Amino acid sequence: MLNEWLLNFARWLDSFAWSTAIHESFYLYAWIESTHVLAIMVFLGMLFIIDLRILGFAFAQVPAARIAERLDKPMMIGFAVMVTTGLLLFFAIPVRSIQSIWFRIKVVLLIGAGINAFLFRNKMKEVRRDGGEEVEPSKRLRLGAGTSLFLWMGVVMTGRAIAYDWFDCHKDLSYAMYWVAGCVDEMALVE
Amino acid sequence: MDLLFIFEWLDTSFLADMSKAYGGVFAVVQMVHLVSLALLGGAVLITDLRLLGLVLRDVPSEVVTSNMDRWFSLALIIMAVSGVFMSSAVAIKLYYNEMFWAKMIGLSVGALFVYFIKRPLLAHPHETINVWALRSLAISSIVIWFTVAASGRWIGFS
Repeated sequence: MLNEWLLNFARWLDSFAWSTAIHESFYLYAWIESTHVLAIMVFLGMLFIIDLRILGFAFAQVPAARIAERLDKPMMIGFAVMVTTGLLLFFAIPVRSIQSIWFRIKVVLLIGAGINAFLFRNKMKEVRRDGGEEVEPSKRLRLGAGTSLFLWMGVVMTGRAIAYDWFDCHKDLSYAMYWVAGCVDEMALVE
Repeated sequence: MDLLFIFEWLDTSFLADMSKAYGGVFAVVQMVHLVSLALLGGAVLITDLRLLGLVLRDVPSEVVTSNMDRWFSLALIIMAVSGVFMSSAVAIKLYYNEMFWAKMIGLSVGALFVYFIKRPLLAHPHETINVWALRSLAISSIVIWFTVAASGRWIGFS
């Protein structure tokens, strides 16, 4: 049911002339993807350093809350560009993307990273309000930073893996794999 | 000097055997390369934006520089090692790829710039360095490393 709905949504996006135009324009697609990679450098670069500070591996002599607060703005600028270009890349190739196992894992990891970031930011605000920025990160905050590193590295890795066709619908896969990838037509053939 | 012999050697090396035979290993190395690029980007940007006075203004720029230098070097080493492995899979093709050479020139300029200009200059107390020299250093650094990253991505398109 969900797979059919997602595929129909992707086919609807695919019907837009702009979707085809981006996909077929060599320079536009390449520049959007290059900008996406550069935005990853900005966003993830800042995020890595914040998380490494919380874990005590960088800027040990500077309060963690100060590093997190001061790097938040450039990090969010990188995030905005990364999301915008990411959505454009999805819009350019919606059907193959929605039927990619890697893309699906990436979305799940993104949701996880988003929830973790929301909890992490709230906890950081609490720390600043209750004890000021000098307080060293609690075990819970360090766990959040470790989880953030793990999830975002997963997002980047699965994002890169989308380019590989190992589990694409045209491959001979098991029914379970077709279901996970959302290969609706192939599942019907197996049935 | 013709460097083709290096690429021919790389093409027949153990690394090439592995990168060509195991697509999964190649993909994982490529992912590690991308994650290291993000770390390198963070180290470059935080240092240079601080030198420009745009972030962490209440942290001495010497502290920012010394903290970011080791992460920059670590990221560069991982990227170089993973980059050689990735190159081994398509060594001869890369030799004839203009964008690959653009990246290599950018990378060489970047490494020389960091280790022979930027770091020796920033080893002095920053308040004794002309503010425009610091700003030029920071802007040059951002331009060089983002050009290296963009040209690296364009190898795949060319």
